[in-house]
Amino acid sequence: MKHLPKHLQPRWRYLAVGLEAWPDADVDRSDFQRAVWYAAGNLLGDPGSADADLRVLHFTFEDGAGEAVVRVRRGEVGPARAALACVDEVAGHQVGLYVRGVSGTIRGCEERYLGRRAGVRAERRVVFENDRRRCYVRDGNVDVDGPDGFTGATELDLDSEST
Amino acid sequence: MYEAVHAHPDGDATAARFAATAARMGYDGVVVRARDAAPDYSAVREASDIDVVDAVEVVASAPERASGAVGGLRPDHTLLCVRGGTDRLNRFAVEGERVDVLTRPMAGDGDVNHVLANRAAENGVRIEFDFGPVLRATGGERVRALRDLRKLRELVADADAPFVVSANPASHLELRAPRELVAVGEAIGFDAETVRVGLCEWGELADRNRHRRSDSFVEPGVERGRYDG
Repeated sequence: MKHLPKHLQPRWRYLAVGLEAWPDADVDRSDFQRAVWYAAGNLLGDPGSADADLRVLHFTFEDGAGEAVVRVRRGEVGPARAALACVDEVAGHQVGLYVRGVSGTIRGCEERYLGRRAGVRAERRVVFENDRRRCYVRDGNVDVDGPDGFTGATELDLDSEST
Repeated sequence: MYEAVHAHPDGDATAARFAATAARMGYDGVVVRARDAAPDYSAVREASDIDVVDAVEVVASAPERASGAVGGLRPDHTLLCVRGGTDRLNRFAVEGERVDVLTRPMAGDGDVNHVLANRAAENGVRIEFDFGPVLRATGGERVRALRDLRKLRELVADADAPFVVSANPASHLELRAPRELVAVGEAIGFDAETVRVGLCEWGELADRNRHRRSDSFVEPGVERGRYDG
């Protein structure tokens, strides 16, 4: 179909979203897109969800951290933020997310807010609460493995004898 | 703006991790409400560059038990919250001036009416708007939570009672930025300003209590210091 004249084309805003999860999480673009649609549908209802028209454009996720660009119709950034805040699980993995910024072009969005690669993740053995545990360290943040799943910590929480 | 968090061992992230994540999201501070968590507050403050408030949340099954805990824990912590959730506990929390915040008043069987809201306004007990179920529950549970939030909002506005807002995060993954919480608030019928005030209120409470606990404070209106008449 012939494309729309410029003044009838929808205007978009692009949200730069930072994602975080436990180290064992494995999430891909379609999982995240589905979670976003569900969250928008549940919070805003079908009309609100259709108005916001949320679409995940870019998505990278590796070793429990990632980032995404989510497209939203101009003027619907508030509801879109609310819907994104309600995404708490993606494909069964708990996910934390945070809108780093909003931009009028994908390029602006990427240049300004994305590409801050999270530091390299390293696996270590540490002493946490008098117990020797396996953990994953990145940028001073430590995810400690334990019998009841992971615990989020930082270098401050590790006991001194861990090296 | 502040967020009140459930730190390890109550939650799945330590106070330091919460503070680091909250600092990145643009919070001015976190309130660590946990009975067993005893982080090194000054070290955490220094590492994260935001305020970290020493708080405690009394979780009891009945007012008789809560009363003892409130008396015992009040001197040791800057902020004291009582978790509601039954009519008797809600009533107990708003009746005394020793309690700073009544948390999750509508959870479980709990309910609030105009009498409790008025008592909370008289005693300056903050009532918490818990956004947790809005962010993390689905289906009927969420619908009930939204219905309860609406009722609570109308009662609090009518009584002009003080309030706080929190997402009740149990790990750094459940933490949401202030702007996101404001957006969620707007989507479910709150004013943006109400949510902001509710998030700031934690910080103001902490400042007030720190001032009261400082050596120069004798009683409201009476302070020890240089005479400058």
